[in-house]
Amino acid sequence: MENVSLVILASLTAALVLLPKWGLIARWRESRRMTEKCRREDALKYILKREVNGQTPTLNGVAGALEIHSNKAAELLSEMERRGLISFDCGQLRLRHAGRELALHVIRAHRLWESYLADQTGVEEAKWHHLAERKEHLMTPDEAEELSARLGHPVRDPHGDAIPTVGEELAADAGQSLNSAPLNAVMQIEHIEDEPETVYAQLSAVGIRPGMRVCVFEKSPERIRFWADGQEHVLAPILAHNISVIPLPESAGQDLFDEEFLAGLKPGQNARILGLTTACRGAERRRLLDLGFVPGTSIEVEMVSPGGDPTAYRVRGTLIALRREQARLIRISTSEAQPL
Amino acid sequence: MSETNPMPNGAGTACGSCSLNRAANLKRLGVTMDDWDYVVALAGNPNVGKSTVFNSLTGLRQHTGNWPGKTVSRAEGGFEFAGKRFKLVDLPGTYSLLSTSLDEEIARDFILFGRPDVTLVLVDATRLERNLNLVLQVLEITDRAVVCVNMVDEARRHGMTVDDRQLARDLGVPVIPAAARFGRGIPEVLQAISDVATGKFECRPHRLHNEPPAIRRSLNELVTRIQDMYPDLPNARWVAMRLLAGDDHVHAALRNGDLGSAGMHGATGGRTESGRAV
Amino acid sequence: MNADQADAGAESPAEDILRTAQRLRQGITGDLHEYWVEAIYADAARIADRAVSRPEKKARPTWDRTIDRIVTSRLWGFPIMAVLFTGMFWITISGANIPSGWISNLLIDRICPLLRQSADAVGFPWWLKGLLVDGIYLCTAWIIAVMLPPMAIFFPLFTILEDYGYLPRVAFNLDNLFRKAGAHGKQSMSMMMGFGCNSAGVVATRIIDSPRERLIAILTNNFALCNGRWPTQFLIASVFIGSLVPAYLAGFVAAASVTGIAMLGVAATFVISWLLSRSVLKGEVSTFSLELPPYRPPRIWQAIYTSLLDRTLFVLWRAIVFAVPAGAVIWLSANLSIGGQSIAEHFVNLLNPIGLLIGLNGVILFAYVVAIPANEIVIPTILMLTVLTTGSTAMGQGAGVLFEIQSEGALRELLHSGGWTLLTAVNLMLFSLLHNPCSTTIYTIYRETGSARWTAIATLLPLAMGFAVTFTVAAIWRMFT
Ligand SMILES: Nc1nc2c(ncn2[C@@H]2O[C@H](COP(=O)(O)OP(=O)(O)OP(=O)(O)O)[C@@H](O)[C@H]2O)c(=O)[nH]1
Ligand SMILES: [Mg+2]
Repeated sequence: MENVSLVILASLTAALVLLPKWGLIARWRESRRMTEKCRREDALKYILKREVNGQTPTLNGVAGALEIHSNKAAELLSEMERRGLISFDCGQLRLRHAGRELALHVIRAHRLWESYLADQTGVEEAKWHHLAERKEHLMTPDEAEELSARLGHPVRDPHGDAIPTVGEELAADAGQSLNSAPLNAVMQIEHIEDEPETVYAQLSAVGIRPGMRVCVFEKSPERIRFWADGQEHVLAPILAHNISVIPLPESAGQDLFDEEFLAGLKPGQNARILGLTTACRGAERRRLLDLGFVPGTSIEVEMVSPGGDPTAYRVRGTLIALRREQARLIRISTSEAQPL
Repeated sequence: MSETNPMPNGAGTACGSCSLNRAANLKRLGVTMDDWDYVVALAGNPNVGKSTVFNSLTGLRQHTGNWPGKTVSRAEGGFEFAGKRFKLVDLPGTYSLLSTSLDEEIARDFILFGRPDVTLVLVDATRLERNLNLVLQVLEITDRAVVCVNMVDEARRHGMTVDDRQLARDLGVPVIPAAARFGRGIPEVLQAISDVATGKFECRPHRLHNEPPAIRRSLNELVTRIQDMYPDLPNARWVAMRLLAGDDHVHAALRNGDLGSAGMHGATGGRTESGRAV
Repeated sequence: MNADQADAGAESPAEDILRTAQRLRQGITGDLHEYWVEAIYADAARIADRAVSRPEKKARPTWDRTIDRIVTSRLWGFPIMAVLFTGMFWITISGANIPSGWISNLLIDRICPLLRQSADAVGFPWWLKGLLVDGIYLCTAWIIAVMLPPMAIFFPLFTILEDYGYLPRVAFNLDNLFRKAGAHGKQSMSMMMGFGCNSAGVVATRIIDSPRERLIAILTNNFALCNGRWPTQFLIASVFIGSLVPAYLAGFVAAASVTGIAMLGVAATFVISWLLSRSVLKGEVSTFSLELPPYRPPRIWQAIYTSLLDRTLFVLWRAIVFAVPAGAVIWLSANLSIGGQSIAEHFVNLLNPIGLLIGLNGVILFAYVVAIPANEIVIPTILMLTVLTTGSTAMGQGAGVLFEIQSEGALRELLHSGGWTLLTAVNLMLFSLLHNPCSTTIYTIYRETGSARWTAIATLLPLAMGFAVTFTVAAIWRMFT
């Protein structure tokens, strides 16, 4: 009797461990395989990014980027060389064709997924990067293509980076850090680095987004003060370092300081719409445009809901109610308003 | 198939006093449509009276209500006018053909790929500017359209007048003033639909003049390319614009070869005359 | 033909164009959609300018404006909503009594005996006569008598309000609450459609653009009392609640209690929306826009005509279609017996302990099982089974036979003898609000969401809530009495 139950127990345990698909060993191997794949792809991403920005990728760099020991990194790189993804030319790390393709695909998948999260889901901004870091390794090129089509083939991701298309080169990072921006010049935010995540979360929490126009008017080792979206921002230089900006022509920045937003308009007042801010993306942006919130349109506050939130505006002859969060995304000018 | 019995409200029995009676040619067919000569799509912004027009033409009772979004799926009905049978499709209201919500997609896909022979675009006279946004988009896609300026009664109450002749000149398609709720203007709409469907009236639809400079070059290059491949396509510029904007449906249509025929009816002149364009 | 050539030429030309488009797209800076819309609006403005002539002095739509100011004002906005809806229910309840009496007099007191006689004359066996007349006919007649009058009053009133343009203002007033619950203001439009029919309400959620908020609206639509449930509310409210107060107040108090239940449904909508948006449907509230149309004088006759023809008769027809088999099932289950007890009694006894625990009884629960296809038949089923289980044949013609509603008093008597108390009535009103949607709605939810999981949640969530709420009410009630 005892023997029988022992045998059953033993075979059950064996099954639990050895079963081809569900067994512990199989699972463990699968998860290891996955980790290896992620590491390889992350390493490729790192090498490609260094290359396009004119920097030399190094073994230690790979170890640092992946947060692994350098022995482990060396092992990883030699495995990648065996697979024909990279080459060591006289100690110089280089991507081979297959490696470059794979790296591009992973970056493309990452940026597409971020665009998807931004445009079509309610996932909060601080989580986009993290989720995309995982998703990028799971998507096949076909899936990426399908996603791209579903999103209307976006050109840039929510951080302002170009989404590479199949068979295309990755663009080098443009712009300079906000820290090094000249004083009192109007610049445009080109890109916000999404790593480290905490920094990115802080920046997005105060509403800083790619496409925004900024003007730095004070710089000191402790802080950077600048104007953007109708208000003053103060950031520590380490935060500002993650924002890269490009200069704008003088003419594009004239009205920066007297920018006003629809949310600030009072009942009975009217104004002219200047445009939508860049924080207004995807379906929301299209919908507002279709409703007639286009530059040059006259707009008037007609009434406010009893709860104080949605406000009804008269636009092109129709009453349209918007919530305050949306009204904040519409730039207006009260000085140029024509009577409706 | 003229022996098919008209539906309950058929042949003017229900409506003794309204002006529809003058259009003695109209026979409302309700939903009994198994065969038709022309398909008419009924498009327009939300809450402009599409379902009201639909009901007075087909004798059906599609729900109407004074709020945008009353109709959320398409409804079909039929009528017979001047010996031809028309299938009329009531679509959900849309602000534009570029957006993405489900009800708007239903409307858009039908105008694009449902091969309507005529698109009847309803506009609200009291907010013409906003409504013309959709009209101009429809005219970019199709060259067989009729514009019906509804709610002229309301416009008059506000002291506004709409010059329909000027509008017709500018848009290049028939423009009919109407007050659907009171049955006014419906006979004229019928006549216009029939004229456009049979080719008696040739539309020269308005096309956008001032393309935005930022995209003009790319657009022109793509248009040339498309016109080379599909010389008969009536709306190459619109297709080019949608392709640049990454529109999935248009992509797919191009891939499947739908672009040459389905939806882009200008190329073939609709189902009844589809042999002609060969 | 051109298209065929393109087809035959296959792949390459189309692919070539697509590639070109892709290349050119990269070269465009800025938002293409935006450029295009701006250009179109510019043209539209020019054309409209030429075609429209406006009066020199602006004839402002001041009337609209004044009304809008009042119905959306901080002070009056919500009171006006409450008064309008209570008023509508009051007119419905007090107006429906009289025609209900007439119809039941005609269908049940006059026609029913005639049918029995003719069945006897033709020589039907007792069971066939019972099934046809006492089962099917009576159940159907009952539904017509109970449902037709309130619906024939309620729907035209609602349609008039809808035609006038008031509903979007309700959405405008309520949006703040919906926003706080993480939902979309247009959910109030689908909710109001749900007051007519939940299945229609679920379809109406299509006006909500964002998937997350649309799903919330679908899952909570069942908390809007529908057609099939209004009669239950109206009947129980006037029989039990209205009778608590002097006669001249009865109508008003009954209407207020129905409004209370409807408001509770609205509250449940908010709470559940809030819970969903904090848990399984986590996320940020996305885009919201709501167009407020101008007020238009409602077309009274048309409203009456269409709502009678479409909504009332349609719903009635549906109720009858379900009532015919249900009537047969009820009659059969009451008259076929196993081991000396009818099948219905077996079920009722089985469900009784649970029913009593939550302040209802086995009869009511069994009725809700029978009524899964359509809520409309709950009340007739309850009455038939109560007659059966109390054995009060004095009122009817035997087991499982629907009796005549001579008066509210008689109805109350019967239910009291079935062990009903005020608690049973209140809990029935609550349970009628909070239970699974009818089978049509369940199917519609499946079609709209395409997901068995969400359908299951939408079905079971309100049911669980119903049990929880009625149980709590019963427990508290028993503590104090
Ligand atoms: N004053 C006036 N009102 C009209 C006229 N035509 C329609 N209406 C009213 O306008 C409102 C909207 O009519 P519908 O036919 O439901 O509008 P729709 O375009 O189908 O609306 P959606 O289905 O929401 O897109 C209703 O209250 C009609 O009674 C008209 O010519 N004059
Ligand atoms: Mg409609």
